[in-house]
Amino acid sequence: MQEAHVYGKYAHFAIGDLYTFLSSCGTTLTVTLISLFLGSILGIVIGLIRCSHNKVVCTVPLVFIEPLRNSPLVVQLFLVYYGLPVVTGTLLDVYSAAILTLSLNTAAFFSVLVHNSIKAVPVAQWEVGYALGHSKASTFIHIIAQQAVRLLIPQAITLYIGQLQCSSILSLISLRDLCRVGQLLTVRTMQPFIVWGIVFFLYYAISFPLARLASYLEKRLNYSY
Amino acid sequence: MAMIEVKNITKSFGSNIVLRDFSVDFEQSGVTVILGPSGTGKSTLLRCINGLEKTDKGEILVDGLSVNNKKNLRQIRLACGMVFQQTVIFPQMNVMENLIMSPIKLLKTPKGEAVDRARFYLKKVGLESKEKSRHNELSGGEQQRIAIARALMMNPKALLLDEVTSALDPEMTREVLNILENLASEGVCMLCVTHEMQFAKDVASRILFLDGGKLICDTGKEDFFYNARKENERINKFLSFIGD
Repeated sequence: MQEAHVYGKYAHFAIGDLYTFLSSCGTTLTVTLISLFLGSILGIVIGLIRCSHNKVVCTVPLVFIEPLRNSPLVVQLFLVYYGLPVVTGTLLDVYSAAILTLSLNTAAFFSVLVHNSIKAVPVAQWEVGYALGHSKASTFIHIIAQQAVRLLIPQAITLYIGQLQCSSILSLISLRDLCRVGQLLTVRTMQPFIVWGIVFFLYYAISFPLARLASYLEKRLNYSY
Repeated sequence: MAMIEVKNITKSFGSNIVLRDFSVDFEQSGVTVILGPSGTGKSTLLRCINGLEKTDKGEILVDGLSVNNKKNLRQIRLACGMVFQQTVIFPQMNVMENLIMSPIKLLKTPKGEAVDRARFYLKKVGLESKEKSRHNELSGGEQQRIAIARALMMNPKALLLDEVTSALDPEMTREVLNILENLASEGVCMLCVTHEMQFAKDVASRILFLDGGKLICDTGKEDFFYNARKENERINKFLSFIGD
């Protein structure tokens, strides 16, 4: 009871805390969205290179993809934020390190989705394109790409939700995202259940509609060849 | 000069030699039906003519252009439209878009003209009411008829038909064969791989019989169904097996 009384001295939320939560939510969303955008662009390029019929060319991207897919994001983050400056001699601010790490990680996973989506389009679709007189590029642009994108979208949204949740790791380098603010407010208010409950709700409020959207699109865009 | 000249081609998949030193010519007229047991290289021959498979040896010329030269492939494929065994409709497009996309993109046909031609061919295949339909609203037979119309939209000099009815039930098979018979009566040049003997009897002007990757018989339909089967035990056995 004594302890509860002491903690009680700290346990006041101010209206400003709500603003802090919303502002940190903005940071989380901004960093995540920028990273997802950059990662997706890079992932498309790498995914297309993976589809090359040249064995050397299609193998090269694995040098980038495999290490990033098979190591923890937090290790990649520390390598970029703490390790890279030692080699380059340039300190990265938390935002740059966070965006760089999350972008590269997203690119690795996204490239696999792009590659798999293109490969999932039946070979017969390519052959009909060729038989009609289309070149490889024309077949891809006019026939395959739209089908691949339809297969890709639901998987991409699922990846985006995962990356949004993984972005909480960025708090470990003191980025003032939702998770970091949760840590700070817990220390100040000593009300972890309420604080983390709010953090939990905010993540859920962002992720759940996306998850429903992915589920809807999966049904809506599914082809039966 | 023959429209299609197949000169001593050999094609193998791994250790399996599908076509052995195979030669044949095709004129730009009539309906040539290619018969033979499964795995004797009938489909592979059509795929080699269309450049979908590379030959190991030999050469194929279409209108004097070598299939071995990649630069000629587009022209060769425009000259030889191909319809496949599986029904392949582009699922992201409706029927009309399936038909007009390639002429617009490749032949630079104005959209209005392409639409008019598409309606003409849709009427020809009996599907004029389906132009807005998607692939999942069409039966297998209808999809195959759309695929034939789509190939005709490119104004090919010859149609290569690779067992276009083999994945269809008897009713749908009849739908497709009726269309092919109509096209044949209009003088469209066709090379058909098929197991439909009645179709061969009705419309073929020439029959090729392949076995073991070799051309066993190249003759007219009367000669094939009456004389060749008497003279050649292999042909007789094949025709007996399929109930002819």
